[in-house]
Amino acid sequence: MVDIEELKKQFLNAEFDSKNFVIEAENLLVVAKTSGESRAQFIDAEHPDFQATPAFLCSLASGRHLPIDFPALGGIPMDGGKAVECFAPVRAGKPITGKSHLHDIYDKQGRSGRMVFIVVRMEIVDAEDTLLAISDSRLVIREKPAA
Amino acid sequence: MSIVNILDVEFGTELPVFEPDTTLKNVGAFARAVGWGGPRFESHEGARKEGFPGALVPGIMGMGFLVSAIHRWAPTGTVEHIDGVFRAPMIADTPAIISAVVTDIDEDEGLVELDMTVKNTKDETRIFGTARLRLPKA
Repeated sequence: MVDIEELKKQFLNAEFDSKNFVIEAENLLVVAKTSGESRAQFIDAEHPDFQATPAFLCSLASGRHLPIDFPALGGIPMDGGKAVECFAPVRAGKPITGKSHLHDIYDKQGRSGRMVFIVVRMEIVDAEDTLLAISDSRLVIREKPAA
Repeated sequence: MSIVNILDVEFGTELPVFEPDTTLKNVGAFARAVGWGGPRFESHEGARKEGFPGALVPGIMGMGFLVSAIHRWAPTGTVEHIDGVFRAPMIADTPAIISAVVTDIDEDEGLVELDMTVKNTKDETRIFGTARLRLPKA
C-alpha cells in the first residue's frame, strides 16, 4: 500500500508540466453556446469583454495529468471532478501558459478498498505571468489490493 | 425572478430549473471545440465499444450547464469559483436537469454561495457541486 504522506513529501507543489496555449475565438463560442450560455461576453466574439467560460478553462487541464515518475497505484485514474477559480478574463488570441503541479493527495477507505484522490492544479497565467485562473482536476484511483 | 444585485437574493431560493441541450450533435460539437472529439463523446456505438452505456456528456460540459443556469438567473453576476464532483456519467440524448439553491449570502462582499446538481430523469445525481457568484452591491 502506497504511503500517502511519502507521496505528498515527494510530489506536492513541484511544477511538473507547462503548456502554452492560444485559444481560438471559434472554440470559445462553440463551448459557450453548446453549454446553453446566454451572456453576451461569452457568445459574441465582438463583445468588448469576450472571454472564455469557466468550463472551457477546465478543458485546458486535459492531457498528461501526473509527474512522469509518479508511482503506478494499480488502477486507471478516473476523472473525479473539476474546479475552477477565475481571477481575470482569459481572452481569445492571447498567449497563455498552464503550469501544473500536484496540489493535494489524500485517500478514503471504502468497502471495496482504498481510493486515492490526487488534485492536479493548473495555474493559468498570461504573457506577463499574471495569474488569470486556477483549474483543479481531481483524479480518483482505486488502489489495486496487494496480492 | 431575474437577479440584479445582492439584495435581490434570498437564502434558500431555488434557481429556475434549466434543461440544457444534451443531444449527441450538441455534445459532439462541445467535445470537438475542447479538443476531445472522438467516439466516446460523438457516437453511441463507439462509446459502447469502449464499455460505456452510450456516448458521454463531458463532465466539464455539465459544469458549463451549471454556469449557464447561474447566468440565466443572475445576468449581472460573475461566477468566481465553481467546483463539480463527477459522480456518474451523463449520457448524450438523455435529459439532464440542472438545479441549484442559495446556501449563503454575504451582502457586504456581494457574494452568493450555491449548491448545484445535475440529475437525470430518474432523479439520480450525475454531478454535484458548489459555486460562488459575485453580484453588484445595491
